[in-house]
Amino acid sequence: MLETRIEWSDSLAAHLRELVRYRELLWQITRREIRVRYKQSLLGMIWAVVQPLSLMVVFTVFFSWFARMESEGIPYPLFSYAALLPWSFLASSLTSAVPSLIANSHIITRIYFPREIIPLASVLAALFDFLFAAGAFVLLMVWYGVAPTPRALFIVPLLVVQVAFAAGVSLLLSSFTVLYRDVRHVLPLLLQIWMFVTPILYPASIVPGRWRDAYFALNPMAVIVEGYRSAIILGTAPGAGRLLLAAVESAALLWAGYAYFKHLEKDFADIV
Amino acid sequence: MEIISLENVSKRYRLSRLGARSIREELARVGGRLLGRNGSSDDDDFHALSDISFAVDQGEALGLIGHNGSGKSTVLKLLARITYPTTGSIVVRGSVASLIEVGAGFHPELSGRENIDLYGSIMGMRRAEIRERFDRIVDFAELERFIDTPVKRYSSGMYVRLGFAVAAFINPHVLLVDEVLAVGDASFQAKCMQRIEELRRNGMTVIFVSHDMSAVERLCGRAILLEHGKILADGPAREVVEFYGSRQRGAGSSASE
Repeated sequence: MLETRIEWSDSLAAHLRELVRYRELLWQITRREIRVRYKQSLLGMIWAVVQPLSLMVVFTVFFSWFARMESEGIPYPLFSYAALLPWSFLASSLTSAVPSLIANSHIITRIYFPREIIPLASVLAALFDFLFAAGAFVLLMVWYGVAPTPRALFIVPLLVVQVAFAAGVSLLLSSFTVLYRDVRHVLPLLLQIWMFVTPILYPASIVPGRWRDAYFALNPMAVIVEGYRSAIILGTAPGAGRLLLAAVESAALLWAGYAYFKHLEKDFADIV
Repeated sequence: MEIISLENVSKRYRLSRLGARSIREELARVGGRLLGRNGSSDDDDFHALSDISFAVDQGEALGLIGHNGSGKSTVLKLLARITYPTTGSIVVRGSVASLIEVGAGFHPELSGRENIDLYGSIMGMRRAEIRERFDRIVDFAELERFIDTPVKRYSSGMYVRLGFAVAAFINPHVLLVDEVLAVGDASFQAKCMQRIEELRRNGMTVIFVSHDMSAVERLCGRAILLEHGKILADGPAREVVEFYGSRQRGAGSSASE
């Protein structure tokens, strides 16, 4: 019979084993997130596409037609949509993960389960939207007659880095929000600034050469966004050094975020 | 066999640490400390439980009684792993299902059917195990007609019925029950009591928190009386309930709740 000693363990390995045991719940809560989000909305799943698509249209009109923004020879709608896809994924992960522990306080104070499941389900539900919206990207590619090359397989490591990064930031910020509600007010501002410093509207090549390495090192999202463009549209490999650095940074962030989350989790039910 | 044991368990809440704060409050506190005003003192602590020890055997039904704030619910929350002891050790052998406010894990937008899946997996069950028990759960809850209705349209009685039915059919080793049955109607309460008794005879351990002394006497062989986070009496339910009653009468009408 399973013997549980009710004391807090700081062993991450033990927490990970428990998370694996509760994978069914992670799946259930992810499904709940997705279903509840679209259940009473008229357009349902279409909303996952409407958000990046409408931004793409506005960006194309103002930045490409009016402001003549360069886009590395790629049709601007493709150029911006390829970047808006991973960006919307991060933004929607964080928007739903950050308040998630507070929103679910009625469960947290009454039933035990590994709490990281709640923000992680937000990330997985955002991933579902991302994959759905990516379907629209394939249609755009067909429309513009851009055929993928074998280099498009780089989307696999890019996707892994993107999910690890979003999960790391979500764990970090969602647990911090339990202690300090300020995060909820800061988040929209943070996301807005972050979007403008990420090469979504513009190519990263407009950043002066001597700053470019620092620029990519400080913002893994820039690496991911540019990575998708080169892998899928241009058919070139993303810079290996940059991608590797972003991967290491995301892994470190995920580890730190998980450790911090589990460190705070002990007191969640007493605080939230 | 001992299925639960608590040794010298204390739970202390630091009142100033309860609840989330804004960074502004945090700065004010740090500022106060820099100016020499000591922020945390002993009066700041609330001892929900001080140094309690007891053990529960398999198949036992234990009632926890006492005034509001005596620490009964804190014991349940510790056993359910919702909160952790400040000092002392707690060991639980086997799976625990808690009915600390029934339906707490339910999501209002989802149907009864979807909520059974969700609740079952919160309690650590696999999908196949939930499917296997599904019909019995729905039957016990008497909700066949409403099982595909979102639970936000349920009455509070229906909520309780569904919550109890899920917990009662996942066959935990330990069932924690906190005052929830008071919500249902009398016939459903009787049905729940019967189900709990049936499970207990099959070896399930029950920890029952209630203000209803006759229910405690009926269901539990043993009771523990808590007051201000300490154990005041521990013994056969009838004697402890009687002792509690005499203390309340002794304290006069001011202690009536």
